[in-house]
Amino acid sequence: MLTAIIKKEIAANLLSYKFFIVILLMTLLLFTSFFVLYKDYKGRQADYELVRAKPGEPIAVLPPNPLSIFAKGLDEAMTRSFEISPIGINVRTGQKSGNAVFAFFPAPDFVYVVKVVLSLVALLFGFDQVSRERENGVLRLMLSNSVSRATVLAGKWLGNFLSLAVPFVLVTLLGFALMNLNSGLRFGPSGTGRFLLLVAIALVYTGLFLSLGIFISALTRRSASTLVILLLIWTLLVFVLPNLGTLVARQIVDVPSVKALNEKRTQIWTREILLQIGEQKAVNFRGDGAIRKRHLEAINNQLNALEADYRMKFDRLVRLTKTINRLSPAAGFAYAVTELAGTGIDEESRLKSEVIRYKDGVLLEMDRGVKEHPAFVYRYRTVGRVLAEGGLFDLAWLTIALILFFALGFVAFVRYDVR
Amino acid sequence: MSKQNLILKADDLSKRYEDGVLALDHLNLEVRAGEVYCLLGANGAGKTTTINLFLNFIPPTTGTCYINGVDVTKDPLEAKKYVAFVSENVMLYGNFTARQNLDFFAKLGGKTALSKDAYYQVMRRVSLQEKAFEQRVKTFSKGMRQKLGISIAIIKDAPAILLDEPTSGLDPKAAEEFLEILQELKSEGKAILMSTHDIFRAKEIGDRVGIMKEGRLVLERTREELQFEDLVKIYIDYMKSEPLTA
Repeated sequence: MLTAIIKKEIAANLLSYKFFIVILLMTLLLFTSFFVLYKDYKGRQADYELVRAKPGEPIAVLPPNPLSIFAKGLDEAMTRSFEISPIGINVRTGQKSGNAVFAFFPAPDFVYVVKVVLSLVALLFGFDQVSRERENGVLRLMLSNSVSRATVLAGKWLGNFLSLAVPFVLVTLLGFALMNLNSGLRFGPSGTGRFLLLVAIALVYTGLFLSLGIFISALTRRSASTLVILLLIWTLLVFVLPNLGTLVARQIVDVPSVKALNEKRTQIWTREILLQIGEQKAVNFRGDGAIRKRHLEAINNQLNALEADYRMKFDRLVRLTKTINRLSPAAGFAYAVTELAGTGIDEESRLKSEVIRYKDGVLLEMDRGVKEHPAFVYRYRTVGRVLAEGGLFDLAWLTIALILFFALGFVAFVRYDVR
Repeated sequence: MSKQNLILKADDLSKRYEDGVLALDHLNLEVRAGEVYCLLGANGAGKTTTINLFLNFIPPTTGTCYINGVDVTKDPLEAKKYVAFVSENVMLYGNFTARQNLDFFAKLGGKTALSKDAYYQVMRRVSLQEKAFEQRVKTFSKGMRQKLGISIAIIKDAPAILLDEPTSGLDPKAAEEFLEILQELKSEGKAILMSTHDIFRAKEIGDRVGIMKEGRLVLERTREELQFEDLVKIYIDYMKSEPLTA
């Protein structure tokens, strides 16, 4: 019985214009996204070849992450060039996207397509499953047979999920395979594994919105009302909640602005230089080198303390923002996939810590008069570590939300008046 | 008629909706194998509520429905094995052909291994045009959809058939054809409970006719009794009479 319902749902989708339009749109969007982001990646890779550190240069710069084609996240920020000098870290723009349109619109990467478009498509597949079939009377005819409502609901969910998931996975895998054909781009086993995990999480996220669609459909009598309610919820979950979380967190955690931070940096510099000049005058510029070194150390220590304080506050803000934003599955999805791709907030924070550690090492060497410095090496976290440090939580939350919405849909459908 | 032949039974069945409306008031009704029972009544008399209760779409406030001896409330899935349903306006999957619709609902009805010929045979039996067998149902007229609806009921081969105003909106020829099919099903031993507004056809096909008013079965007549009575006059008199609750 379940198989018959699944097959019927798939056949009904295959025979509808809605399905073809949606699949065409999804294919077009995914391929456009892959093409645009692939070109962007190649451009940034060319930039990297220009700015990469020469042997012995104290510069920390990462090549662009191939998985940023799918989940761009903070890859642009992570691939900036960090030049180490006795006066601290000088951050260069690095490999910035050449496409100015990205400044106005979010990068239309795989994450964006799934987060915004696929979630909406899943709702469109789910919204009419109960209320529309009640309106046209098919639900009564179906339930006049010896078939449980649980079977009907499971069949509808599975049939629609497969109708959506199969073309989505095929198009995505085809795009991935085509990119792998390019000699300049190799994802390797780890990259491929991470990519497959991204696809799996995208499917959980899609299933969640399908469950939500069916749940609301089982709460309403008219399919038009279902659609309006679902569009409101979708806007709230995908656009409003993530931005609201950022605003609320900013009200709770006070983080100085970058301008204020720079002002403080200048103050430290000015004060120490003036003190240095005073001391040098007092001793008639004898022992000049030792005084300068002491003040440079003082500047470095104060800047480090200032930086540490700023990072502590900033990390608190980020943690709180993430916690609030996680109310939205869209945020949970974006966190999980960007961290897995190595372009997430935690990965970027870890990179910055590594750059600071590298800077401290380089400064010590500079003190000892070493001219040639070791190259900066950064290893992305393993999948296991990413999952342990929040990825698993986000994945579990998405899965729980999917199950919860399905369970709520089931309860609503069992109580649904099919007349 | 023996007790063994009893297929549909409403035992002291009442339904009061959440808004307080009493839709059905202590209904007692029995339909035996090979019998057509027609329920007559104005809108809101309780005809559709009775069918909805038999199909377990709504729970009864008091009383019990039995299909083939199975308590519908206690074991709805078992009870529904023995009943087929045709609604007033059969709406199927418009993008599916007649055969595809028939195939899907046959599978839901437990018939999993039927051939294309078996479907065609049923559709021929209800006089659906051959060219319509593989046509999308969204192009069908109401009469064609009703014929397909009764095909679904036939292919399920259940001992009971519930029909909710099946001839409403059909042209006279289509309605006549529809009733011929019902006659055949009756002769095959099906127990048929049909709600209708059509007094003439109820008299023509019904072995028993019940008139409902405000949720109560106010009158029941057999075919034999109706030979000596004017059903139209009885019906109109009941409809014009004072409200029962007054």
